[in-house]
Amino acid sequence: MTDATRLAELRQKFGRVPEGPSDPKPGTVSPREAQPRFRGLESGHRACQGCGEALAARLVMECAGPDVIVANATGCLEVFTTAWPQSAWRVPWVHSLFENAAAVASGIEAAMKARGKNTKVLAFGGDGATYDIGFQSLSGMLERYHNVLYVCYDNEAYMNTGIQRSSSTPHAATTTTSPAGKERMGKRHLKKDLVSIIAAHHIPYAASASVAFPQDLQRKVRYAMGIEGPTFLVIHSPCPLGWKHDSRLTIDVARKAVECGLFPMVELERGSLSNVMPIRQVRPVTDYLELQGRFRHLFADDPRAEEERAHLQALADYNITTYGLTGGDPDNADTVGTAAVGRGGHPAGRLRP
Amino acid sequence: MTILTRSAYGEPGTSLDFKTGNWRSTEKPVHIHAKAPCHGACPAGEDQQAWFALLQEGRVEAAWRALVAANPLPGVTGRVCPHPCETACNRKALDGALAIHNVERWLGDEAVANGWAYPVEEPPADAPVVAIIGAGPAGVSAAYHALRHGMRARIFEAASEAGGLLRSAIPPTRLPRAALNAELDRVLSLPGIEVTCRARLGRDVSVEALAADHAAVLLAPGCQEGRDWDVGGSVPADHHEGLALLKEFMDHGQFPAAQRVIVHGGGNTAMDLCRLMKRFGVGEVTLVTASGLPGPDTATDDLINVVPRELEEALEEGIEIIPHATVNRLIMRGSKVVGAEVASLKKVPGTDGRKKRVTFEGTERVRDVDMVIPCIGEMVDPEGLHSWINRGYLRPSDHWGTLSDRIYALGDARGDRGTVAEAIGDGARAVAAVAARLNGGEATTDTRAELPASDLNPVYYPPAARSVAPKLPVSERTFEAEIEGDIGHEAALAEAARCLSCGNCLACDNCWTFCPDSAVIKTAELATDGSFYLFDLDYCKGCGLCAQECPTGYIQMRPE
Ligand SMILES: Cc1cc2nc3c(=O)[nH]c(=O)nc-3n(C[C@H](O)[C@H](O)[C@H](O)COP(=O)(O)OP(=O)(O)OC[C@H]3O[C@@H](n4cnc5c(N)ncnc54)[C@H](O)[C@@H]3O)c2cc1C
Ligand SMILES: Cc1ncc(C[n+]2csc(CCOP(=O)(O)OP(=O)(O)O)c2C)c(N)n1
Ligand code: SF4
Ligand code: SF4
Ligand code: SF4
Ligand code: SF4
Ligand SMILES: [Mg+2]
Repeated sequence: MTDATRLAELRQKFGRVPEGPSDPKPGTVSPREAQPRFRGLESGHRACQGCGEALAARLVMECAGPDVIVANATGCLEVFTTAWPQSAWRVPWVHSLFENAAAVASGIEAAMKARGKNTKVLAFGGDGATYDIGFQSLSGMLERYHNVLYVCYDNEAYMNTGIQRSSSTPHAATTTTSPAGKERMGKRHLKKDLVSIIAAHHIPYAASASVAFPQDLQRKVRYAMGIEGPTFLVIHSPCPLGWKHDSRLTIDVARKAVECGLFPMVELERGSLSNVMPIRQVRPVTDYLELQGRFRHLFADDPRAEEERAHLQALADYNITTYGLTGGDPDNADTVGTAAVGRGGHPAGRLRP
Repeated sequence: MTILTRSAYGEPGTSLDFKTGNWRSTEKPVHIHAKAPCHGACPAGEDQQAWFALLQEGRVEAAWRALVAANPLPGVTGRVCPHPCETACNRKALDGALAIHNVERWLGDEAVANGWAYPVEEPPADAPVVAIIGAGPAGVSAAYHALRHGMRARIFEAASEAGGLLRSAIPPTRLPRAALNAELDRVLSLPGIEVTCRARLGRDVSVEALAADHAAVLLAPGCQEGRDWDVGGSVPADHHEGLALLKEFMDHGQFPAAQRVIVHGGGNTAMDLCRLMKRFGVGEVTLVTASGLPGPDTATDDLINVVPRELEEALEEGIEIIPHATVNRLIMRGSKVVGAEVASLKKVPGTDGRKKRVTFEGTERVRDVDMVIPCIGEMVDPEGLHSWINRGYLRPSDHWGTLSDRIYALGDARGDRGTVAEAIGDGARAVAAVAARLNGGEATTDTRAELPASDLNPVYYPPAARSVAPKLPVSERTFEAEIEGDIGHEAALAEAARCLSCGNCLACDNCWTFCPDSAVIKTAELATDGSFYLFDLDYCKGCGLCAQECPTGYIQMRPE
């Protein structure tokens, strides 16, 4: 079977239309146990208020579980879910090191294969673990073509150790190791274009997603889950503490990152762009930046601030033209269509007369 | 209880032992059930959000039943109400207010066509009986609401048919008699309501006699008595008062001969009269009104008091309107009018803080006309009501309509009303007060705060254009055919789907989906409203995200 037919088949099976959540439980159970969704990641974890990463991981688990094993790199997600002797996970889950989630996942996958089991293996890491320190093991995993879905929870810095810059930290953001001040306007370098690097491994599927668009995020997880082979998802996950925004604004901030073009929502299959989330109404980057303390210095009365704002706007415009994020008629998969709600849920699953 | 494991592992899901809710900030999320602004603005007391919600679920009959819990005549108000609800609608700021009246009308007509039963039962034979004077919308509404409270109603109507001004004054082109009769008959034939026509207060019955053997007497006689009118002392010999002219036309289909007419006033009567005369063949019809026309700078108390689309249609039909003006002087030849002096006028703040009308010197202009028709409002016919009338009206002391112990005033006769919806609301309120009093309590009002547009999260509502009702072209407008059409089933449901559900949960699942702590619990797979969601405060950290992303403003953060 050629890759093309296989992909067509998968699209058919796991593509656009998301399935409804289903996890029915008979008998008398508590309301929490009766939730009509798989609770792979439970309450009681120690994440901060409004944590985007906790939300992203829960959304992934909801539609990836229950038949999965997770290998988790060191980082906030690992720490806040597993304060011994408790665990927020309701699937087999293992933590080994910061730099080796992909390697551990590769090993588990090989073991599963040897035992003739179909259990899907997931590898989770933060941006530090993925863009930087675990990058080598991730590249190896992709190259060896392990049947693993790797999810990077991108909060754009080493948050667990106190907000140090990573290669994912956006240009001009303040972190403890890229402070804004007399010398410099926050991080000097650019955010690494990881999705393109991953896609260059010629893997079946690599995509970016955002906590602000959960239906889209879950569609991407389902799609990746149906692929036999390495797949990769990076999820933009605001960190109220590290980005210095109000905890209630996590979704708002994430949504504006997409709507201004700084965080493009793309899907690549075998290295080629196969889909983007069009932006119905593009906003200026300042709408996104002004919500966050990590960009506060960009609003100072300082010519360098103005220049950096223009630079970030140029980067957003670059994404928009490179990926073709505007144009076209209103579409139910664009930023407005995907966010739309109606009585009884998302319009796709809405009650009909 | 915390279970210590032997080595570095934890049992699945045991984090639930650790109640992160005790980390909560100073605030917790609550469900608020706010009042939607449309509801707050509807003089008939309809909760449009509630019936739109049922339509969104596809439950059309249930939606009608929810509507008629307040207003028994949706087919009427859907056609003639100036819809203040739409002026208040929060969707106005997005892409146009809900076309509430279109859907209301459609629901009313559906109920008639399908014979849906009103949600009332016949009260027992020995139930308290209220006596009602007048079978206009106020009296009819009061009778209907009496049934809803378990009381019987006995209406005394002076005319030969029920309906009040709906029948005698509002032109059939706006309110076809078939539609009026169908709805009115359905209400008045409900068991427990008794209507006696040709029974006039003062002549056939008296307030005192009725009060003696009824639980209460509700006075809804409307305003029938023309006011005296003269301009600078001159009254033409062939003087016609607007409402009388209109009623006459309804009965006989004739207007006195005239080619150029000025109608002086700024309400429904003036507007209807202008349009009918123009259609009848009067060459020039000019409306002179002290009020202003709708515009961005028009203050609400300055705005001409007519149904907005009425004004639009009048202009289409070639009626000339002179706003902020008055008729200063009549130019007479003998006792016949040959001209009118019109001058500019404006309401300006007076020294006592109240607005006063000032006519501006030097703005006088003379129009050649054959007739000047005042439409300056009517007062209560004092017959049988002498002891209750106060400067032309009944003027009750409160919004329940209380005149005295068991006597209430409702509708136009109060003196501070002027629309069908207000009359209907008055009927409901007066009966609620009577019922509460019989039960030894006091009636209560909905004191919930209204949800401002700023509490919504508009991101989640995709654009959707407001429905437009079909309209007869000017050339096809007659004296009978209804000018505005029905929007139909599909458009009505599409319009209902535009409702933002202000202040009330629409079960979008956003809170459930977005809570990073799974502290929002959903109790059914298919939810339709807020009764399906709970906050599990054992795990809620008070981040405020659910409140921020709730599209409807139904979740708000409150101090612990
Ligand atoms: C030309 C015109 C157009 C209008 N257009 C609109 C419109 O588009 N939208 C809108 O909302 N409102 C409109 N109105 C106003 C609206 O019709 C009134 O506000 C409404 O009808 C008032 O209702 P009501 O029950 O208080 O009084 P009415 O409708 O006046 O009914 C009073 C009833 O009491 C009866 N009655 C009077 N005296 C006695 C007595 N002594 N004994 C027994 N019975 C008696 C009368 O015969 C009548 O049937 C219009 C009014 C006019 C004149
Ligand atoms: C080899 C190694 N170096 C450093 C650390 C310390 N450390 C633990 S978590 C972390 C940051 C993780 O950042 P990221 O992967 O972005 O995840 P986040 O906490 O931001 O979710 C670091 C530096 C470590 N555990 N191992
Ligand atoms: S009666 Fe008038 S205000 Fe009330 S819902 Fe109907 S149109 Fe709106
Ligand atoms: S959007 Fe719906 S609930 Fe809100 S004011 Fe308009 S009609 Fe009422
Ligand atoms: S999103 Fe969850 S944790 Fe945050 S305030 Fe709402 S219920 Fe509480
Ligand atoms: S977010 Fe949606 S489901 Fe939750 S309370 Fe608000 S309207 Fe209801
Ligand atoms: Mg990170």
